[in-house]
Amino acid sequence: MLDRHAPDPGAAPMAAPDAQYLDVVAIRKAFKGVTVMDGLDFRMARGELVSLLGPSGCGKTTLLRIIAGLMQADDGSVILAGRNIASLPPHKRNISVVFQNYALFPHLSVAENVAFGLRARGMSKADAVKPVHEALALVRMQDFAERSITALSGGQQQRIAVARALVVRPHLLLLDEPFSALDRKLRETMQVELKSLLRERGITGIFVTHDQDEAMGVSDRIAVMNAGRIEQFADPSTLYATPATPFVMDFVGLSTRLSGRVAAQEGALVAVDTDLGRLRAPGTLAPGTPVLIGVRPELIRLDGGADMNRVDLVLEDVAILGSKTMLQGRPGAEDRLLCELAGIRNGKSRGDAVSFHWAVEDTLLYDLSAGATP
Amino acid sequence: MSTARADRIGLLVLPGLAYLGLIYALPLFLLLLKSFRDATGALSVAEFVQIFGDPLQRSIIARTLRVAFLVTLLALVIAWPTAIVMRSARGGWLSLFLVAIILPMSLGVVVKAFAWSILFRSNGFINQSLMTMNLIDAPIRLLFTETALVIGAANVFLPFMVLPIYAVLQQQDPNLPDAAATLGAGPYRRFFKVIVPLAMPGVVAGCAFVFSMAVSMYVIPSLIIGERQQTVAMQIARSFLFLRNEQLGSSLSTILLLIAVSVVLGSSWLAARLGARQ
Repeated sequence: MLDRHAPDPGAAPMAAPDAQYLDVVAIRKAFKGVTVMDGLDFRMARGELVSLLGPSGCGKTTLLRIIAGLMQADDGSVILAGRNIASLPPHKRNISVVFQNYALFPHLSVAENVAFGLRARGMSKADAVKPVHEALALVRMQDFAERSITALSGGQQQRIAVARALVVRPHLLLLDEPFSALDRKLRETMQVELKSLLRERGITGIFVTHDQDEAMGVSDRIAVMNAGRIEQFADPSTLYATPATPFVMDFVGLSTRLSGRVAAQEGALVAVDTDLGRLRAPGTLAPGTPVLIGVRPELIRLDGGADMNRVDLVLEDVAILGSKTMLQGRPGAEDRLLCELAGIRNGKSRGDAVSFHWAVEDTLLYDLSAGATP
Repeated sequence: MSTARADRIGLLVLPGLAYLGLIYALPLFLLLLKSFRDATGALSVAEFVQIFGDPLQRSIIARTLRVAFLVTLLALVIAWPTAIVMRSARGGWLSLFLVAIILPMSLGVVVKAFAWSILFRSNGFINQSLMTMNLIDAPIRLLFTETALVIGAANVFLPFMVLPIYAVLQQQDPNLPDAAATLGAGPYRRFFKVIVPLAMPGVVAGCAFVFSMAVSMYVIPSLIIGERQQTVAMQIARSFLFLRNEQLGSSLSTILLLIAVSVVLGSSWLAARLGARQ
């Protein structure tokens, strides 16, 4: 009943033949005259797991509700499996949603909750028994069929919500912050569990989350959203290694950031003057352009050659983070220096004078001048 | 908090208990006792046998139950959509609704009843309008009818139906109808399989309030239909005040009390059953 999409764990989802399984085109949405989305495009392949990642108010939940049909876009189309569903009401879209609070029906038993979608599709009570049992077995909750919803823990409720959403074999599964109501330990377990379940069944799914670790953990690709736009849509490693904008760099992972101005173009490199000296980065920009320099903390070392970028600083903070240590300097209000060292025995403490070294090619460079494309 | 201190705080309930015992339980008990005695003071159910054997008394009890049922039904039918609209209302609109529902309660029933008589009488607003629209040729009799009583009483008791239903609707998770929709449930299924079942505790509470008030109402029927078509409560007053038949009055009171108590207990049981699943 559940295996509508053939399991295909080996294939890279991005190379799927129907690369435009879901095609969200030119979505416009305004609330009380305030435009929150102005021509947003979003596209994904069948079997892909994608996250919409962004801070609250970035429009990720709005986009989810528009795809589900719980909210109407002012303009634009939503094409799912070749059909424009933008004008269909939610109950005719065959898109299941796992809500943040799970939204299980408190007046129905576990089995009745799972059967709800099948019954709504006209299936008889007797016919629903088998698929309901299979769906409960899938989330290892078959022994809880007759329980009351309120008698379940948060993790169990989430499993029921997933079973209820999957039993109807949706074309698309949307998950709105599905892990946020769980405590940290349980959250990590459930992420791994849910991801492998969706993978095995070849489900096409969209997670909405504000948690970058969660997005990195569960998805093939991540769309980082900010102020109603998608700033970058890429796989986790691309997103982390080459963030397209300062926003993405700040939102996904930690980074050293220093502001400065372009001093000169030196071949394929740009020389930038910062408060902490001259730094170089790959790129092409006119002298005088205000820029932001970024580096991921694990790419920084405390020693290095003359061809590397180097800043001298006094450590403001040394934080032991289990398997690693984070050294931090704060040269200015907006600027930040972060160096991540493996292990915790490196003899550095607050107040030590150190030098951060990193390779020129690892340096991220962003044009901050007005009119620069974000 | 220590047990001793908790015990001392528990003493605060005494004044209320004494008040209730003296003013409510004791007289009620005496009344009940009287209803099970005959004129000589011996224990007997003769009065009840006589009441249920009397076609007039039977018709009064039947009318009382019928009116209470219809009042409850009418109030429910009006309260549902009102509560639904109130749930989605915000800010100023919500305040307006609440004021519109609660303010009329501060207006005495007597004032309302006389206002209605202006509306209902043969040359009143309703008859005039119907005649102007050529829907009727001659004024229809509205005042002193059961219809007028049901309409009037439902108006008085409406807040007691709207508020409990609004309260449960307002507490409902707004995601539930959305979840039902994404699972393929159309508007009717969402309403009857999700919104209504979850609102049942409020509906039961509202019906219990309204029914128990409507079954024992005295002032409203006295003002709207007068002596001609009596209700049990009016008959009780008549027995004590005019007929000086305390036996009859006590027995009718017992019957009314039993009806009210069974409605309250029945609805609590129903609400507990419905609530247990949530």
